[in-house]
Amino acid sequence: MRNHLATVSLLTAALLSGGALAADPGVTDTEILIGDVEPLTGPPALLGVAASIGHKIAIAEANNAGGINGRKIKYVLEDDGYVTARTIQGVKKVIEVDKVFAMLGISGSGQSIAVMPVLEKAGIPTVIDVAPVKLLWEPARKNVFVVGQSYEEGIIHLVNYLADKNPGKTWGLITQDDDYGITVRDGFDSVVKAKKLKVVYSGTYKKGQQDFSSDMLQLKESRADVFLAGGIIAENIAMMKELEKLNVKPVTGIFWPGRIEPVLKLMGPAGDGIYAVDYVEPFAGEAGKAFLEKAKPLVTEAEFKGINRYTMTGYAAAKVLIAAIERCGKTVTWACTISELEKTKNVETGVMAPISFGPGVRFSNQKLQIMQADAATLSFKPVK
Amino acid sequence: MRTGDYKQSYGELVTLIDSPPVWLWSTVLVLALVVAPYVLNAYALSFLTIILITVVGALGLNILTGYTGLISLGHVGFLLTGAYGYAVLVSKYQLPPLVGFLGAGLVPAAASLIVGAPSLRLKGLYLAITTLAFSFIINTVILEMRWLTNGARGIAVQRPEIFGVSFESDAAFTHLCLATAILTLFATLNIRRSRVGRAFVAIRDNDTAARVMGINLHAYKLLAFVTSAFITGIAGALYGIYLSFVNVEGFPFLLSIEALAILIVGGLGSALGAVLGTVLIVLLPEATRLVFSLFSAQMDAMFTTGAQELKSMLYGLVIILFLRFQPRGLVGVWHDLKRTWVNWPLRY
Repeated sequence: MRNHLATVSLLTAALLSGGALAADPGVTDTEILIGDVEPLTGPPALLGVAASIGHKIAIAEANNAGGINGRKIKYVLEDDGYVTARTIQGVKKVIEVDKVFAMLGISGSGQSIAVMPVLEKAGIPTVIDVAPVKLLWEPARKNVFVVGQSYEEGIIHLVNYLADKNPGKTWGLITQDDDYGITVRDGFDSVVKAKKLKVVYSGTYKKGQQDFSSDMLQLKESRADVFLAGGIIAENIAMMKELEKLNVKPVTGIFWPGRIEPVLKLMGPAGDGIYAVDYVEPFAGEAGKAFLEKAKPLVTEAEFKGINRYTMTGYAAAKVLIAAIERCGKTVTWACTISELEKTKNVETGVMAPISFGPGVRFSNQKLQIMQADAATLSFKPVK
Repeated sequence: MRTGDYKQSYGELVTLIDSPPVWLWSTVLVLALVVAPYVLNAYALSFLTIILITVVGALGLNILTGYTGLISLGHVGFLLTGAYGYAVLVSKYQLPPLVGFLGAGLVPAAASLIVGAPSLRLKGLYLAITTLAFSFIINTVILEMRWLTNGARGIAVQRPEIFGVSFESDAAFTHLCLATAILTLFATLNIRRSRVGRAFVAIRDNDTAARVMGINLHAYKLLAFVTSAFITGIAGALYGIYLSFVNVEGFPFLLSIEALAILIVGGLGSALGAVLGTVLIVLLPEATRLVFSLFSAQMDAMFTTGAQELKSMLYGLVIILFLRFQPRGLVGVWHDLKRTWVNWPLRY
């Protein structure tokens, strides 16, 4: 009976804990809590787990150096399974129950948009790094900062590059039937209009589609010279394997959500030479190698295997947040952290161009670079 | 002292609440729910809100599957069309929220006529697959009708203001959900005890016999679809407001399965079962996590970082256990408890 009473008391205490909120929670003399909600289960876990590893690396690095002004950072991670309602609940849990001081992450683009009212109302300092979409920084929210580059800018950069490199060629495009696909298409269309590109194939596929035989056959028959593969991971692999089977090899471009090294292994020779755009360094470059060297002792073997580009975006965001909290000195508050985040100017993270925000500027607008796949070394290399 | 459950007139049989203590406890429960938003923290309150929204949806599905015996695997389609019905009318065309709620009910009700028509000839698994197909078709229709729905980009939804009362705060929105859930509960209980409700149950129990008794199967099956879709659509509107952003990704197919799980665990064909099933299914993962966290921090971490996989496993396990050991669901357990309490120390 006493055990039951104890359980009920604990449950009640957990439920009622909202009444005892301190002004700026999550900071004690020895500890600072940082929260995060990511998809850690299901297919999108590939990005959620990788991003959380990036946060862990930055936190472990800071803790090994003595923490933030003597305070160790504790990372509170919650799984949302890529379900929007669960993202909202997860964010409320880490803020209200775990009482974190600041947030990193958060999940996918639709999920981050949905939690904006919660974050804004709570006023908690937040740095978003997983899925940068315009609705997250337009309009600018006082406490929400976004590290990255917009999907629109990324696709415009890639298509411009490929158009300049392949003048007068015909184009093909396939996109997913979701907001990601629409963004890719909008970016593509704007360059098509500006550069008067000749598009001979334009298709849309249903999210989750696995068989691209008819789509790629249509692409082949259209005789497109340049192909923008608007899939994410499995879709791009299926498309490239299908093109290989059909014995056609257009100049192909992919976007950063699918720019993950294991993809090249699965594509095999079909993936050789494909172009990609990204704002984080490729692992084959000097900066990428240095990052892997740094990460190795800070994570487990399993986590090390899960590192991909999202680990870099997560690492950069966590570095920026930690630096801002550190600049607040011993007296750490939300107001100070937000103010210091706003003052972030050319912060070097080693995994992307220096990061800056400013008064009213909540988006870091990272510099983009084009890279090309090398099937022999299973890596992406920067294009000069 | 009450010693049994004796009904002496037809009126007593169809009465909603048959004893003063039940009235008293129901009032206490409603009062507690009214006060709860002011006492609970935002996280706990989010569970209460989700429970109330899910109760509305589960009661909607209960009319079709529980009362009428028509299995639907595509109810998430009605939830989605309800959410879009509200979002398009209120966010896009700036109409009053009450018009939005009406649209949220009418749009899926109209869609249910399309999916309901085949139900006149289909039963069981075949109907389940038809409704499943509907939920996929409706996703594609919404994605393609960009001029109206913004396609995959979705529509942002604000908290409503009705007759000058703002539901902007979490507490106020929970009160709106509570009021809707209570109204829906009364509506479904009243449907059940009416001529229409008895016709639904007759169709469920034996449609040939029902037809012989003069029940128009076509009309009543379509009516069950329309009523169920209307109520589910209202739940969809509330869910869309809760998410603050309506797009097809926010309404995964899993919600249809979750709704069926609620009815099975609660007890098919019972409004009380739908409520009890909702409470159990929504709180099960969190309650399990809280209990395990008392024993070990590692178990707690496992539940937070692998929550969704464990949640699916828990749902599966609970459904299997209920089907094997308590096919009448939670409402069966409740009735057994009541009987034991009334008849003790006698068994019957």
